[in-house]
Amino acid sequence: MLLKIAWRNIWRNRTRSIVVITAIAIGLLAGVFASAFMQGMMRQKIESVIKLEMSDFQFHRPQFTDEFLTSLYIPNADQIMVEVEQEPTVAGTSGRLISMGMVGSARRSGAIRIMGIDPAKEALVTGLNEKVVDGTWFEGASRNPLVISRKVAEKYGVDLKSKLVLTVQDLDGEIIAGAFRVVGIFDTGNGMFDEMNIYVRQDDLRALMRIEAGVHEIAVSLTDHDMAEPLAAKYRAAHPELEVLPWLDLATGMRYMIETMDVYLYFIVGIILVALLFSILNTMLMAVLERVREIGVLMAVGMAKRKVFGMILFETVMLTMIGGPLGLLLSWGMVSYFGQVGIDLGGAYNDLGFASIVYPYLDIRSYFEVAIMVAVMAVIAAVYPARKALKLIPVEAIRTQ
Amino acid sequence: MTNYVIETKSLTKTYEGIVPVYAVRGADVTIEDNEFTAIIGPSGSGKTTLLNMIGGLDRPTSGSVKVNGHELTGKTDSELIDFRLKHIGFVFQSYNLIPVLTAKENTEFIMLLQKIPKAQRDARVEQLLGEVGLADKMDKRPTELSGGQQQRVAVARALASKPDFVLADEPTANLDSASASNLLDIMARLNKEEGITFIFSTHDQRVIDRARRVITLEDGVVVRDERR
Ligand SMILES: Nc1ncnc2c1ncn2[C@@H]1O[C@H](COP(=O)(O)OP(=O)(O)OP(=O)(O)O)[C@@H](O)[C@H]1O
Ligand SMILES: [Mg+2]
Repeated sequence: MLLKIAWRNIWRNRTRSIVVITAIAIGLLAGVFASAFMQGMMRQKIESVIKLEMSDFQFHRPQFTDEFLTSLYIPNADQIMVEVEQEPTVAGTSGRLISMGMVGSARRSGAIRIMGIDPAKEALVTGLNEKVVDGTWFEGASRNPLVISRKVAEKYGVDLKSKLVLTVQDLDGEIIAGAFRVVGIFDTGNGMFDEMNIYVRQDDLRALMRIEAGVHEIAVSLTDHDMAEPLAAKYRAAHPELEVLPWLDLATGMRYMIETMDVYLYFIVGIILVALLFSILNTMLMAVLERVREIGVLMAVGMAKRKVFGMILFETVMLTMIGGPLGLLLSWGMVSYFGQVGIDLGGAYNDLGFASIVYPYLDIRSYFEVAIMVAVMAVIAAVYPARKALKLIPVEAIRTQ
Repeated sequence: MTNYVIETKSLTKTYEGIVPVYAVRGADVTIEDNEFTAIIGPSGSGKTTLLNMIGGLDRPTSGSVKVNGHELTGKTDSELIDFRLKHIGFVFQSYNLIPVLTAKENTEFIMLLQKIPKAQRDARVEQLLGEVGLADKMDKRPTELSGGQQQRVAVARALASKPDFVLADEPTANLDSASASNLLDIMARLNKEEGITFIFSTHDQRVIDRARRVITLEDGVVVRDERR
């Protein structure tokens, strides 16, 4: 009966209730969608960081990533890769010779990171072969083939079959140049990455750098990103002479960004909920003040205080429980829809390493947490009006008309 | 010694203020079972204040109220609420009913608070609304009922808890004379046939004429108490 009374009371002032319910629904929608947008963007960024830039974890000689000295290579790389490939979640490993060198065309020259890779193995790790938009990923036999990004192609004014001169430092510190021909052009959508890296066959670079065996970097990609940290830790212990780092530590600021993201969701939804809390509180307070006499009569004829309290509480919670799920449902619908279709930012954040089409995403756990936050908010919003109702003195309440 | 339904001793209520108001002064009132009593007196004479103290809605400044031997003074607010639920039926001047509940639900509500099982509730609601002549209006909400009909539902609700007595503060004040007379008929019949004790305050001479006992207040003092 209390529930029945509470329910009917909500619809006594239909407009007011609908306004509050709509406010709750729209507020949640805004908060959840904004969070999903950020989370989606972040997730794509992580995906791209893992896939393209950092893999799940990598091996280097200590200091290599600071100084990029040709001499800091891992001699027993092949043996380590064989070892790592035994792990069940490993999708691929790729050994890379890396030279911070120069690239020059007829038009201009500049600094670049030259990656000497095994095309088949690299494909398993970065999937770069699928990003080739023109030409091929090292298919067909040609001498000194080179794969560059569309960005680099534009910058240096070259195209397929153009010749570029790469300059690297060999083991003895000598500067050596070699001519390479463009056989493929890729575009990953990650501007920063594309601008920085060009790819050649490992053996070609090996000859230039005069490193007989071994590579500078072993990148490992996993089917389960959560295994990155434990596996990195395991191999760090097994190879104390090497630096073995998971992606979270390889990408500067990544760990921080991800942690901030979670806080961001709570923050944004939190602010919206506080605003809603006051609007609900206000509505319920008005509802109580309008019904002073009625509540007085209820207490006069013997309704216990805790039931009066419960009645107001139910009413508030019901109000929220209509708006809340409605908002969550709307959010879910919108996030799912745009999660499929994507939101085109028109490349504005491309150069920051973010994709140009964002697919909003929110995990089930976050919806659940928002739902709990809403429920807690409802109860908090209910307490003050309900207490106000309790403080009524029946004799006085009944005298008011 | 007679067992009184209500027994007040030197019941006094003073409202402190710049000028203190002596709303009720040293009232000694005893009501026996099955009485049909009107409390009358000019406006401001203390009728409402007296009834409220008897009903455990208001606390006396001094003196005592006993209902069926239970001392009301000294009970906590929550104990008083519970006591009212179990022992006293209330009919107020107007707006007695919960607007969102039907006549049936308004009556049933009190029994629900008393945790009376559903079958028993249904039977009693039907019987009570029948007795006040509203068997056909069970599912109407207060707004769909006339003032007189609303007061009759209030009487049914007051009786639902099988109280020791029913207190009614000016139950007919907002009713036209036909409805007032009809309400009094019902109350008088319930008093006669079912032995329900009623105490009501009124200004209305025609209502006073129906009472079997009339207690007159003037300036908070009981000046006359006649049975007929
Ligand atoms: N809360 C209060 N504070 C101060 N004075 C009060 C209060 N309630 C009642 N009074 C005063 O107490 C006196 C008795 O009031 P009460 O309402 O009991 O009279 P009444 O006989 O019921 O009058 P009426 O016929 O107008 O209903 C009046 O002088 C009134 O002004
Ligand atoms: Mg009065």
